[in-house]
Amino acid sequence: MKFTFILLLILGFLLQANYPDPISVLTKVDANMTSGTRISESTMVIHGKRNDREVTSKGYTQGNEKAFTEYLSPEREKGTKMLKLENRLWIYSPSTDRTIQLSGHMLRQSVMGSDLSYEDVMDTRKLAEVYNAKVTGEETIDGRKVWVLNLVAKVEDATYDKRKQWIDQERFVVLKEELFAKSGQLLKKLVSSDVARIENRWYPKKTNYKDVLKDGKGTDFIVSSIQFDAVIPDYVFSKASLKE
Amino acid sequence: MIKFLFKGILRDKSRSLSPIIVITIGVVLTVMLSGLLKGMLTDMIDQNAWFETGHVKVMSREYAKNKDQLPNDLALLGVDTLMQSLQKEFPFMNWVKRIRFGGLIDVPDAQGNSKGQGPASGMAIDLFSPHSVEARRLNIAKSLVTGSVPSKKGESIIGNEFAEKLHLKLGDEITYIGSTMNGEMSFKNFRVSGTIRFGVAAMDKGAVIIDITDAQEMLDMSDGAGELLGFFNSGIYNDKKAQLVTEEFNEHYVQSDDNFAPIMFRLKEQNNLSGYLDFVNSMSTILVSIFVFAMSIVLWNTGLLGGLRRYYEFGIRLALGESKGHIYRSLILEAILIGTIGSIIGSVIGLAGTWYMQVHGLDLSGFLKNATSMMMPSILRSQLSPELIYIGFIPGLLAMVLGNMLSGIGIYKRETATLFKELEV
Amino acid sequence: MKLAFQLAYRNLIGAGLRTWLNVGVLAFTYLLIIFYNGMIDGWNQEARRDGIAWEYGYGQLLNQKFDPYDPFTLQDGHGILPIEKTENLVPVLIQQATLYPQGRMISVLVKGIEPNQVVVKIPTKLLNESGAKIPAIIGKRMAASANLKEGDEVLLRWRDKNGTFDAGNITIAGIFDSQVPTIDNGQIWVSIKKLWTMTELSQEATLFIANKDYVYKQRSGWFFKSQDDLLKNLNDIISMKKVSGSFMYLLLLAIAMLAIFDTQVLSIFRRQREIGTYVSLGMTRLQVVQLFTVEGSMYSLFATFVGSIVGIPLFIYIAKTGIGLPSMEGTGVPIADKIYPVYGLGLIIGTLALVVISATIVSFLPARKISKMNPVDALKGKIQ
Repeated sequence: MKFTFILLLILGFLLQANYPDPISVLTKVDANMTSGTRISESTMVIHGKRNDREVTSKGYTQGNEKAFTEYLSPEREKGTKMLKLENRLWIYSPSTDRTIQLSGHMLRQSVMGSDLSYEDVMDTRKLAEVYNAKVTGEETIDGRKVWVLNLVAKVEDATYDKRKQWIDQERFVVLKEELFAKSGQLLKKLVSSDVARIENRWYPKKTNYKDVLKDGKGTDFIVSSIQFDAVIPDYVFSKASLKE
Repeated sequence: MIKFLFKGILRDKSRSLSPIIVITIGVVLTVMLSGLLKGMLTDMIDQNAWFETGHVKVMSREYAKNKDQLPNDLALLGVDTLMQSLQKEFPFMNWVKRIRFGGLIDVPDAQGNSKGQGPASGMAIDLFSPHSVEARRLNIAKSLVTGSVPSKKGESIIGNEFAEKLHLKLGDEITYIGSTMNGEMSFKNFRVSGTIRFGVAAMDKGAVIIDITDAQEMLDMSDGAGELLGFFNSGIYNDKKAQLVTEEFNEHYVQSDDNFAPIMFRLKEQNNLSGYLDFVNSMSTILVSIFVFAMSIVLWNTGLLGGLRRYYEFGIRLALGESKGHIYRSLILEAILIGTIGSIIGSVIGLAGTWYMQVHGLDLSGFLKNATSMMMPSILRSQLSPELIYIGFIPGLLAMVLGNMLSGIGIYKRETATLFKELEV
Repeated sequence: MKLAFQLAYRNLIGAGLRTWLNVGVLAFTYLLIIFYNGMIDGWNQEARRDGIAWEYGYGQLLNQKFDPYDPFTLQDGHGILPIEKTENLVPVLIQQATLYPQGRMISVLVKGIEPNQVVVKIPTKLLNESGAKIPAIIGKRMAASANLKEGDEVLLRWRDKNGTFDAGNITIAGIFDSQVPTIDNGQIWVSIKKLWTMTELSQEATLFIANKDYVYKQRSGWFFKSQDDLLKNLNDIISMKKVSGSFMYLLLLAIAMLAIFDTQVLSIFRRQREIGTYVSLGMTRLQVVQLFTVEGSMYSLFATFVGSIVGIPLFIYIAKTGIGLPSMEGTGVPIADKIYPVYGLGLIIGTLALVVISATIVSFLPARKISKMNPVDALKGKIQ
């Protein structure tokens, strides 16, 4: 009896030991995903009720506080620029030649009618800083072994209180993710693919965002080029650059 | 004989003028009162029709399901073709495009930075087409506090309260920020051409009124519109006709499984208006019959008077040997002529007055203490309807003739023997 | 004067049917004026009562940063009022949220209110009685537009004070039937304590509804809207309806006056000999004019009498049972299913005065002719 108990205990410990330290997993994911600065070009494919649309943009970010986005296409959006400094947001539209300051709650709106909000795009805080994590199992996705992690926010202002991530065991890329409300209600699903080697990182070039509460096929976010830790001149993150 | 009597009426003003005047006044009052009553009872319905429901409204199926959310992403497309076919199929209706939209209005300072913002509650209507009556339909000119209705692209009317809060002047530039039909960001500068007050707080704060073509560009809805409204050319809602139009139109799309196929609703089906509409109809019938009755009494009096006035004349005519029957018949015939003339003049004036009151209305805001302009009801309007043509005419004629018939009976009571005593000079 | 009244009375009664027809029209006019205004006043009182009972209470204390017409102000437009200052006030916290009935997405306002309140008629008690996790009550319009029934569960998504998403099923604990659309359309009512936990905005309120014992004192960060401020829109509509109604009954009055005028002309014409006799018997012409004027205005007195006989029981009956009105949803005006007309003393006296005075004037106008009559011609009945 006693023996069985000890055996179970050891077995349990061994199984546990098979799982990596969740924080180290998250740190490795962060190492892939976040950087001091970043310049990227991306395309959003928005699957609407009536048609699909593509929006391409070029983004510059520095840390979590500064972000600058310029829209390249379609024609209507071309030249529209957005600057986010901390909680403040400015938009410049070439057609009106106006720089408009929007209050922070506009960040909660959907980006160009997609399933992403500006928050989703711009919140680039490190996962390890925002969430406590626990590895709860392992699975296989598209032939790749993944750790399943449950994340629970440790800060107050996380947009999503809980997340469930399926992280590639070798490359430390989130291949699948579910975002939950505080109550545990599933809100969004993300599926990433086209993982590529960029510089010394693994990076998913395509992610499908799906707001599960809404009908529809969600939004594909495709990164066509990305540059990490590039030097971005300070003036990029100034209001003057909006008008250029 | 008619010709003879007619000459008599024309030449002898003293026996024709006053009854004709009374009948005319009476008929005018009856017609105008009925028209006014109908107009008053329906003013709330009209307001609904002008601003929201139309007499009939076409939307896409999906839009109709979510219409409270102003879902322009679900709007109708290909509306120009649709409008053409509607115009062709139902030429007795006036078809217009409308787009309602939300968003933000941003006001720049001298440096072009944001000075102030507010939510927009936008409405795009056809302001520029030469034959468009939309501005008049929505009573925009009268609701303007300052400025004028937009006359060229890039002009807009905004809520007066918003303009005052941000110290906007006419000609100042404002920027609209919102999203297009496809969800893309949309920006457009407008010049303030006028400021408006509807008297409805929610609308006055964020009202933005622009031309439909500007909205189509701004919201990326070329050849699209949230709603197509149809109005009967008469300006009057006719439920039976609207039902026929709706059935006929929807018939075309029964087979379609397109979620965005157009679907038409008549006024009565929208905004739970059906109960009120039925109420208005029965109420106005009751009241109008009471008016007609009252008017008949007045005209009857006139008829009596007409007969009695000519007591002496008939005496002389009897004395001269005219038969009683002949005098009586000529009296009645004359009454018919006078009644007809008076009723025709009265109906024409009454209809013209009603028409004027329908088209222009009577602005009552001046009578109101604080003179706030309520949206539509501050204009008292009549409603011209076919029954007005006979509603004054028939009682005008009948009462006159009946009155004369009654007073004329006296002719038969007269006896030749006493005639000269009565006529004694 | 007494003689004039007696004579006038006899003449009118003697004229029989025609008198009663005129009286009938006049009585109808004056009943209609009283009825119309009574309806409007009744509606006004009803709507005021409804507005006060369902939404306004005895005024509202609003957060300075909150603008009822600007949903963007909801995010910051709330605050805490120290508990000792909230006496006689019911707190309401308003937050934006998204409702997902049957895969659709509807933006809603979630309004948290103290369930034990008795200031407004919203049946907030139901929130206490329900055992559901998030019990909510909605109005009939909201129920119709979101296609919800009592007992239904539906997913609601909101954010807490930090912007963190939260979501959960709310259970419709009740659907209320109110004439006031502004507490119904696009709104969900929950317990304020529940909303405090849901959003972590503990003790915060967007506005307070005052009860009748509340006395406004300046509170920094808050501003007060009195009942009258809140009812201004309604007052405007009511005065509008009164003015437009007056056009209708002035026209009707004109018809009645035309009838009296006409009758006067007729009777003066027919009674030339009588007039001549009066004058020759020594009445001054002015006295004869007076006699005829009194006769004409007596129609209005008769009408008052007849109107009272018909009107008093009728009006009392209507005021008791009310007049059923069909649904006027969408007309944007709060109107009850039933209106109970209210007849003020001022209204009745004013209407009487209006009818009597105008009847006297139109009786006098044709009677003036008498003063120009040659009594001899009149006696002979020769005036045409």
